[in-house]
Amino acid sequence: MPNNFNNEAIIEMQNVGIRYDQGPEILSDIKLSLKRGSFHFLTGKSGAGKTSLLSMMYLAQKPSRGIVNVFGNNINFTNRDSLSMLRRKIGVVFQDFRLLDHLSAFDNVALPLRVCGMEEKEVKKRVTELLQWVELDRSMKATTSTLSGGEKQRIAIARAVINRPELLLADEPTGNVDNDIAPKLMKLFVELNKLGTTVVIATHSEKLINDFAYPRLHLQNKNLRIYYPNDVSKLGATHV
Amino acid sequence: MSKTKFIARKQELPLSGDSTSLFLKIMISIAVFIFAITLSGVLSINSMLQNWNDSILGSLTVQIMPVTNTKKEKALAETLAHQDKAIEFLKTVDGVEKVVPLKDEQLKRLIQPWLGDGVNIENLPMPRIIDVKVKKNAEIDFIDLSAKLAQATPMASIDNHKLWLSKLIKFADGLKMLAMSVLFLVIMITSGAIFYTTQTSLGLHRYIIEILHQMGAKDTYIAQQYAHRMARIGLIGGLIGVACAVPTIFVISSLAKQIEGGIISEATLSIPAWLMIFSLPLFSLTIATTTAYYTVKQTLQKML
Repeated sequence: MPNNFNNEAIIEMQNVGIRYDQGPEILSDIKLSLKRGSFHFLTGKSGAGKTSLLSMMYLAQKPSRGIVNVFGNNINFTNRDSLSMLRRKIGVVFQDFRLLDHLSAFDNVALPLRVCGMEEKEVKKRVTELLQWVELDRSMKATTSTLSGGEKQRIAIARAVINRPELLLADEPTGNVDNDIAPKLMKLFVELNKLGTTVVIATHSEKLINDFAYPRLHLQNKNLRIYYPNDVSKLGATHV
Repeated sequence: MSKTKFIARKQELPLSGDSTSLFLKIMISIAVFIFAITLSGVLSINSMLQNWNDSILGSLTVQIMPVTNTKKEKALAETLAHQDKAIEFLKTVDGVEKVVPLKDEQLKRLIQPWLGDGVNIENLPMPRIIDVKVKKNAEIDFIDLSAKLAQATPMASIDNHKLWLSKLIKFADGLKMLAMSVLFLVIMITSGAIFYTTQTSLGLHRYIIEILHQMGAKDTYIAQQYAHRMARIGLIGGLIGVACAVPTIFVISSLAKQIEGGIISEATLSIPAWLMIFSLPLFSLTIATTTAYYTVKQTLQKML
């Protein structure tokens, strides 16, 4: 089990609410402290607000009310360049992949490294290694529009982890991959977590949740509750 | 050899395929063409004004009417006597630097365009001309000077270039201001077109921009991709515009030169002026790049 976290909160939320335009709040009074090095599943029915909660964590959205601290920065008062620097520490696997279809698999995975200004030689080395690991090295020249759903998902995961992020957020990361690939990808997340990456995986898969005994952040009736498996009660997330 | 050796890196934003690219190239070509023609006009007017200031404004011409009511030799002698009196008087005037009577040969050259070659001016009642150089910044009251000169010799009259040239200079200055306004308008319209097409493109590529932001790209990273694309469009558009403008300027220039002895033929383009015209593609590149860069930066400020 991952237990190499320190007590520093990587994400903190206090009295957070989210509403779109003038509509009702879809999340209310969310209180959360996510410790560095922790691993959580995020669950809840469709429309419960999982994607909205994740989007705040990956800094694509600000709360309608309340305070969100990411890496110790209140995102309401963080300037654009600093937000960009914070995003470089976050890897995201989107449910709809969000790949750039006009680019090759290689270029998609290389994107976070190039954005940071990494030298092309190092980019090639890292991307090639990772694509080999996710068994897509033969498709690295192919544009992602020609790949299958499962291949796209593996590209999306490779892109999320290529930069060795401090925080990895994944929205249904194993939803479209074959049964033999899913455990391998989960193993990657677990390995990253052991190396210190904080992981939050949004999923509907009870099998996945049962196979890996990590605490569960559950969204219900606009609120967030946390459920601990008996043997992981010391893990970092707490519902304040 | 690295397996990725032949994987060409693409720009994340597929801007080269934008439908606005062709429009902008044509637009910038036309703008640079108009700019080059107008600029050549401004520079020509400048050179013309400079010529006038240098060669004419610092001088005035005194004409001695020929004596005609006596025999030819006597009339010539009397005319020359009047000329001498005028010269003597003019030399005493404050602000006059030099007084030079025109020689027969010079007079002959002056009337040559009207009477042709081989005319013996001694057989004609020719007026004598005195060229008077005026000191720089000298303030001469020409009405008073005309009156005093008439007292010295009634056959003399002053042809002051300033009187008619000042109106011409005013007209030329007006033309220059008009041309400058056209230059300003061309820059504004071009910048405006780049501004709106860039904003449209940002809207079209919002999805990609959001992903780039999510990967940690700063606004500068995205702005640089737009600036890079606009630099190319600005340069190509500028080169096409100048390539079309240069022959046009030559045609206009050669037409102007056909106006013999006229004022317009003095409007020539110097080497620095040509250098300015040939450097217009760099200017269009700079305008296009800067406008696109700051448009992107400003527009992205509104995104999280």
